[in-house]
Amino acid sequence: MKHVRKVGVFLFLSALFSSGSALWAGKEHSPKISTSAIQVDIIQSDETPVPTEFKVALYENLIGQLEKRGFQHVYREGDRNALSATDLVVLHSTVQRFKPGSEKAREVTTVAGATSISVHCQFTNAEGQPLLEQDVTGKVRFFGGNLRATYDFAKKASRIAYENFPPTNRK
Amino acid sequence: MKIRTTTKTFMPVALFLAAIATAAVSGQEASNAVKAVQLTGMPGVKANAKGILSVENGNLHFVHGKAISDVSASVIQDVVSGSDSQKSVGKTVGAISMAAPYGGGRVLSLFRSKIDTLTVEYRDADGAFHGAIFTMPLGTAELIKRELIAQGAHTTAPVEQAGSPHSSSSTAPNKEQKQ
Repeated sequence: MKHVRKVGVFLFLSALFSSGSALWAGKEHSPKISTSAIQVDIIQSDETPVPTEFKVALYENLIGQLEKRGFQHVYREGDRNALSATDLVVLHSTVQRFKPGSEKAREVTTVAGATSISVHCQFTNAEGQPLLEQDVTGKVRFFGGNLRATYDFAKKASRIAYENFPPTNRK
Repeated sequence: MKIRTTTKTFMPVALFLAAIATAAVSGQEASNAVKAVQLTGMPGVKANAKGILSVENGNLHFVHGKAISDVSASVIQDVVSGSDSQKSVGKTVGAISMAAPYGGGRVLSLFRSKIDTLTVEYRDADGAFHGAIFTMPLGTAELIKRELIAQGAHTTAPVEQAGSPHSSSSTAPNKEQKQ
């Protein structure tokens, strides 16, 4: 009986320790760098063939969602005004997986035809040093056109940007 | 005397033919304007705005109500046409039909009409990259694309020959997958 109690206490303590260390590690990996300016690069899809309209929709939705999150300046790729920004964060996105899906199949069956797009997002500073990397997936499962997956991705990616690089002076 | 008579006879005929030719040319210009839905990307136009899309004076011209938006063909880096499909039955009727018993409303989802998509990539005066997406009736995207290229726009996808069967972009088109 004593032996069982000892094992129980040991297990409880080890669980407490491991969860505490995981939380501590999580905090260490989330750098909170405030920024007023973010630049969005063109969506890359070198290895995965993606229709042009999807790439453009990903890019435009991402810019729209970042503006909604309250970043003072959201620059597009190639914008000369971004050169003057001091605390610029650059978002590079590369499509890793793409499943076109089918709106018709979704609406008729409700279980098949999901559209999904997985994008690797890398946040760097203006010098190109990586600050944060994360994979984000955009999906449309039930209602809406295939391009709605790009809106889902943009919402998720903008939330990551907002949480890790909170805007200094909100609009 | 004979020459005068000949001139008198042929002058109205020549004028008539010139008038027909002018009308044909102006008619061709007007036929380039197509009804389109701007999904995203045109400056100063809301998403999913319905309007008239045309190529005029070297510009891609989109009119939505009182809002007019122009993009110069010379700054367009890429024009890509594609194909997609949309519900034939309207949104409201489609939504109401979902309430039909035993999922009967889903039958309406089987009726779909094909549409064209036109994607345009361009840079503004500051060098910033923009992209605009339009949907339009079947067979019209290629006409707009050809017109834009004639006016100085660039493309990475080859332009199809007139009269060839319609299809689309250099990358995989956004077609509905058969399942």
